[in-house]
Amino acid sequence: MKIIRTHPFSINRVSGLDEWFRHPLAGLPSLSSFISNLGEVFPGVAGDKLAVDVHEDKDSYFASFEVPGVKKEDVKIELNNGLLTISAEKRQKDGEKESSFSLTRSVSVPDGVNTEAISAKLEDGILTVTLPKQERSKPRSITLN
Amino acid sequence: MNTTCSPSTCTPATSGVTESLRKPIYNVNGNADAYEVRVELPGVPKSSVKLDIEENILTVRGERSSTVPEGMKALHRELSPLSYLLRLRLNTPVNEDQMTAKLEDGVLTLRLPLKEVAKPRQIPVL
Repeated sequence: MKIIRTHPFSINRVSGLDEWFRHPLAGLPSLSSFISNLGEVFPGVAGDKLAVDVHEDKDSYFASFEVPGVKKEDVKIELNNGLLTISAEKRQKDGEKESSFSLTRSVSVPDGVNTEAISAKLEDGILTVTLPKQERSKPRSITLN
Repeated sequence: MNTTCSPSTCTPATSGVTESLRKPIYNVNGNADAYEVRVELPGVPKSSVKLDIEENILTVRGERSSTVPEGMKALHRELSPLSYLLRLRLNTPVNEDQMTAKLEDGVLTLRLPLKEVAKPRQIPVL
């Protein structure tokens, strides 16, 4: 067995895409690193920040968030000024005790996304938001005459 | 039930193949009748969860299918694609036949009813 230490909250691995994932507090380095470090101290509870994966195919961008134990009705997705904000309220019932905490993450939506057609689905604790690309930003081949 | 496992009980038996696994987040609650174990397995479909009890060790395995579907390009990665393995040593006799498991929203809930002998018992004073 190999033990791999993951740092789900460090966003240094992919460069060039920083624009996409800039934390609202990225301009305050000490504060944002404090927030990122929380994730290492309390994995899972993790600085109230949701981890995200982003993929792309030729038609859409897909953002996947890990939200185990979150019900469909407890997820809120908001698009405001090109910023997509996901908030998930996680409720846990342990016998008589009930606890809840909320997780949020904001992702800036790149240009060329058809914001009207954004859709989302929740399956096996993974929330996937589909951001379809607009026609004009799809690759287009031009035939030579 | 021993909820903290020593390295010897957490390490999976290696059968020649190197595999990367990680321990899921879990918690254990119990009352006089049963233990309830909640294990977070986001990204694991129902068909990919394997459970067994052998020699008082409860093993939960969740195979996570790749989060990158075929033909897609990953732009940014924070989630771990590793599968999950959790081993818990039970120090109380559990009624295995009546054990129930439920997977909902990426959380596996196990109910392990205690055997009669392990339940608290009132002794009447004559």
